[in-house]
Amino acid sequence: MSEAPERVVPYPDRDSKPWWESVARHELVHQRCDDCRAWRWPPRAMCGECGSFSWSWQRVAGTGTVVSCIRTHHAFLPGFEAPYHTVFVSIDEQPDIVMPGSWHAVSAPAVGMRVQVFFDDIAVREGEPVSLVGWRPTDV
Amino acid sequence: MSSHPLRDRAAIIGVGYTDFMKNSGVSTLALALRAISAACDDAGISFKDLDGVATHRVSDSVQGAVVLNALGMRDPKFYVDQFGGGSASHTVVGQAAMAVATGVADYVVCWRAINARSEFRMGGTGRPPPDVVEFQYQTPYGYATPPQQFASMASAYMARYGATREDFGRVAIRQRDNASRNERAMMRTPITMDDYLSSRWIVEPLCLFDCCLETDAAIAVVVTSAARARDARHTPVLVSGAGWGGGHTLYSNHREDLTVSAAADMSKRLYAMAGVGPSDIDVGCIYDAFTPLVLVGLEDYGFCAKGEAGAFVAEGSFPFNPHGGHLSAGYVHGINHIAEAVEQLRGNAGARQVAGAEVALSTGQSGYVAGSSSALILRKGDRS
Repeated sequence: MSEAPERVVPYPDRDSKPWWESVARHELVHQRCDDCRAWRWPPRAMCGECGSFSWSWQRVAGTGTVVSCIRTHHAFLPGFEAPYHTVFVSIDEQPDIVMPGSWHAVSAPAVGMRVQVFFDDIAVREGEPVSLVGWRPTDV
Repeated sequence: MSSHPLRDRAAIIGVGYTDFMKNSGVSTLALALRAISAACDDAGISFKDLDGVATHRVSDSVQGAVVLNALGMRDPKFYVDQFGGGSASHTVVGQAAMAVATGVADYVVCWRAINARSEFRMGGTGRPPPDVVEFQYQTPYGYATPPQQFASMASAYMARYGATREDFGRVAIRQRDNASRNERAMMRTPITMDDYLSSRWIVEPLCLFDCCLETDAAIAVVVTSAARARDARHTPVLVSGAGWGGGHTLYSNHREDLTVSAAADMSKRLYAMAGVGPSDIDVGCIYDAFTPLVLVGLEDYGFCAKGEAGAFVAEGSFPFNPHGGHLSAGYVHGINHIAEAVEQLRGNAGARQVAGAEVALSTGQSGYVAGSSSALILRKGDRS
């Protein structure tokens, strides 16, 4: 392999491990409170709306709206080739969940654009794929 | 109307700086001790009079306990060592104010010491502090550093209000001009709009001049009770209001609108505590790690309506960041705003003095990234 410094891959904690595992299976899920039905992300043990500790992982549609987008011109981190876009997506099920993600289209992103999830397989770790949540324009 | 129990009960009586440097060549402990020593000299007290300490850091500076030890403080009465960056910069002084106002301690020194250029560049390693659990959702995307984080709010702000690069540029140009009158400032050569617009992209929509400096420096301030402050060497600067607020983290399930900072809510409490409003503020030290933060700050602390800060800055009558701020004087993560407010209210800010300044607002980072925010309203006091 090359000598280039390695790109940072997800480093799950005890709350987030199931979430990252579902992303690696190309399934976008979020926690949903069993009591008040509020969605939340990132994974946390308690519902901040009603205080319940009871939740389920549920699939979301994987669609949303771009609320911000940036283009990084300075290669701050190893393994990234500048310039590159990053988008911030408000998801349809719960607009106050805003997820950063990579951009997967030839055209540039713009605020207000409708998008759908694109699973970005970036590495293989111990035989298992490592994937990120990326986004691309919604099919018309 | 009853007065808030913290209003004007504590005062800043001493300010100490190190130089603003690109490579200090010394430890953050040494920087902290130099600034603390200078602040005690300025206050006219011995370091042995200190009985409390308060600092903040993001795993990039010496522990408060080590500084306390190095100061020979065997029986501290008050101790804060808070995790946090610019958003926490003003809370430590607010906490110190509560401690001295309630008699928990007599003289609390607050500081921030960083080798932010030569040792620990913010986000520079791609490996954030392990206690920032949410960075696991950012760094794998190549999204980790402050210019990226603040570009994301700048993008949303431009889209919502039609703000332009020139709106950001006027902040950078104004603050560089201010810095030209500040002998401590690292960057004192004025810039033009052409310079601004032709500077290189860092993270679109932010260019080089939208970004603060990276600085090795420390600043300390000494906080004591308003009663003790009456006998201080210099005109005391009263803590009229201290604000603790929330913030954005991008993940909070609370604030999906990046164009409104947590200060919009917090500032109302802050003004009520101090018993003043935006029209009473003579000078603003508005957190400015990146130019768009100044615009949102001017709006959310009530100086103009949402979306109008660009025009408000262009109109030019409100004095903000007379020292040049983080953008042009040096980046000490917020405490340099407090120090500048103190100098302005003492009336010893030299060529950059805002005439007749009696009340100042000094703000920390308004909650983007960190999920918390802080600010102070300071007022010129009286000596015995």
